Amino acid sequence: MRILLIEDDTLIGDGLKIGLEKLGFTVDWFTDGLDGQEALYQAPYEAVILDLGLPGRDGLSILKHWRNSRRNEPVLILTARGDVDQRIAGLNSGADDYLGKPFSLLEVQARLNALIRRQTGQLSPQIFYRGVSFDPQTKKVCKDGKEVTLAPRETALLELLLHNKNKVLSKETIENKIYSWDDDVQSNAVEVHVHHLRKKLGRDIVKTINKIGYIMEDV
Amino acid sequence: MKKLSLRLRLIIFFTGISCLIWAIAGFVSWHESRDKADEFFDTYQMVLARQLAAADWNGVSPSLQQITNHLIDNIKNAEDEDEAIGFAVFNQDGRIIFHDNENGRYFHFDNQAEGRFVDLRIDDEDWRIVFLRSADGKFMIAVGQELEYRDDIAWDMAEEFMLPWGFGLFALLTLIIIMISLEFAPLRKLAANLSARRSDDLSPLPETNLPQEILPLIRALNRQLSQVEDLLRRERSFISDSAHELRSPLTALKVQLEVVRLSADDHTARDNALQKLEAGIERSARLVEQLLALSRIESSLGEDMDAQSLDWPQIISEIIGEYEAPAADKNISFRCRPNGIPPFENGNPVLCALLVRNLVDNAVKYSPRGAHVEITVRNGELRVINSGTSITPDNLSRLGQRFFRPAGQKETGSGLGLSIVSRIASFYGCRIKFNNDKKGFCVSITPLED
Repeated sequence: MRILLIEDDTLIGDGLKIGLEKLGFTVDWFTDGLDGQEALYQAPYEAVILDLGLPGRDGLSILKHWRNSRRNEPVLILTARGDVDQRIAGLNSGADDYLGKPFSLLEVQARLNALIRRQTGQLSPQIFYRGVSFDPQTKKVCKDGKEVTLAPRETALLELLLHNKNKVLSKETIENKIYSWDDDVQSNAVEVHVHHLRKKLGRDIVKTINKIGYIMEDV
Repeated sequence: MKKLSLRLRLIIFFTGISCLIWAIAGFVSWHESRDKADEFFDTYQMVLARQLAAADWNGVSPSLQQITNHLIDNIKNAEDEDEAIGFAVFNQDGRIIFHDNENGRYFHFDNQAEGRFVDLRIDDEDWRIVFLRSADGKFMIAVGQELEYRDDIAWDMAEEFMLPWGFGLFALLTLIIIMISLEFAPLRKLAANLSARRSDDLSPLPETNLPQEILPLIRALNRQLSQVEDLLRRERSFISDSAHELRSPLTALKVQLEVVRLSADDHTARDNALQKLEAGIERSARLVEQLLALSRIESSLGEDMDAQSLDWPQIISEIIGEYEAPAADKNISFRCRPNGIPPFENGNPVLCALLVRNLVDNAVKYSPRGAHVEITVRNGELRVINSGTSITPDNLSRLGQRFFRPAGQKETGSGLGLSIVSRIASFYGCRIKFNNDKKGFCVSITPLED
């Protein structure tokens, strides 16, 4: 799950990036408002974390710009001010949720998961597929009731495919979704992850569509 | 002792003064009346004495007295008027040969008093008696009057004169009291208004319906109120800004702490997060320190504490000494020309050092490696230039605002340094200017042009 993070405070930004990556997200972090605004058009993001008090361009203008150009990625705004007015302005400008500082990393994670769930039209937090259950908040994966340990990228790949059930995802899309700009991507990385997933969760968990990509299909 | 209210004091003053003047007037008029009465009755007595002196008293014997007594009584009763006049006739031996059958019989003979008025005490009463020799020189006539009667007459006259004035005085005082009460009504209303106020109500007092004498006072008070309100508003916004600004470092600490927790088995990540945590704590500490400094400046700037002649070269060289180590780390060199005319010559050395320290601190922090930091005091200007740095016009205009920090700062900072500098500068009648010099980013402190 690739997240766009726009936050000018280096300590908060760094903490959020590293923390969210530890929690299984893929994070691109920008400190400048304008750079952040343009970044949304460069890669497929599941959600955006947007600080309102940004240099270069303030958060609300960025948000309005996105919504005017018909981008509907879920946006979680971060505000230092406790003002109700600012939260209302944020929500009215097209934000999906807000968090007031100081917030906790786990709360950011929970809100991101809720936003992504809502975006994909999924109601229950747990996802079930062919005897596999997946909890986006805890990243716990179970096969026939028994817990299975997956590497972070494998979890990210599983989550991505589950969120896009019945859709074919190209190798390139998958790379874009589970790696950030900062990561070095091996050319066969996706194949390797798919291989591991099949080994741990069963051969038919992922179906390969030749020359196009991968899919999880309902039975 | 509590002072009586102005209104009460005015009333007491007017009442007292009026009564005193009335009493003096009464006394004077009584005195005048008595003089007039004396003059009148003296004349009257003298006329009576002359008439009696003109009579022939030869052959008058005490037996005649018996007859006349009855006659005199009748006359006196008929007139029903007691003017307290008495008379007596003495012969050459000083014996009374005739009298009015009343007080006259007690008159004493006084040979020396011929033709004069004499005050005598007779039967415990004061009498004024005139002695006159009869035409034939054989008899002495004495006509006297009781002085108390004269006093009564004088008193009656004075009373008749003073009574209407007394009523007038009463009316005057009543009107004065009513008028004073009416005139003081707006003041009383004002006082009631003030005492009924909530302690945090700083709205101005109404300036209508007030006497000219009070208006300047109320205006001054309103000015003071608005200043206090302004101060309070600034104080509140300062506190709220500070609280908001503390949220960011707190968030950073919290998030980094969570990263530490998540990185139990990833030592590199954990060490990195711990380092960030430390930086975050440092930043919070610095923010708190700067906030304290700023609030101390705000509260103490009212009066200049210990203004003294400033030794700028000394202050600057001390501060550069403090920053030698961090500057050496970044290979930054100082160039210093501190001996010119400074922007202000007298001030508090601690505040002045705070100003210079903040400028040097910024210059060292935000200069690239190998830069020069130039500190110049010249022509009434303090300049700090750091080479190799420039700031976008957008950020330039926001520098010096409380808590503003340009984007993407790697250094820890509170965003308060320049606002502290600007506050100190403005206290000493100077202003702070930022611009991108050809040598680099330049901050200058210059006196305000008048």
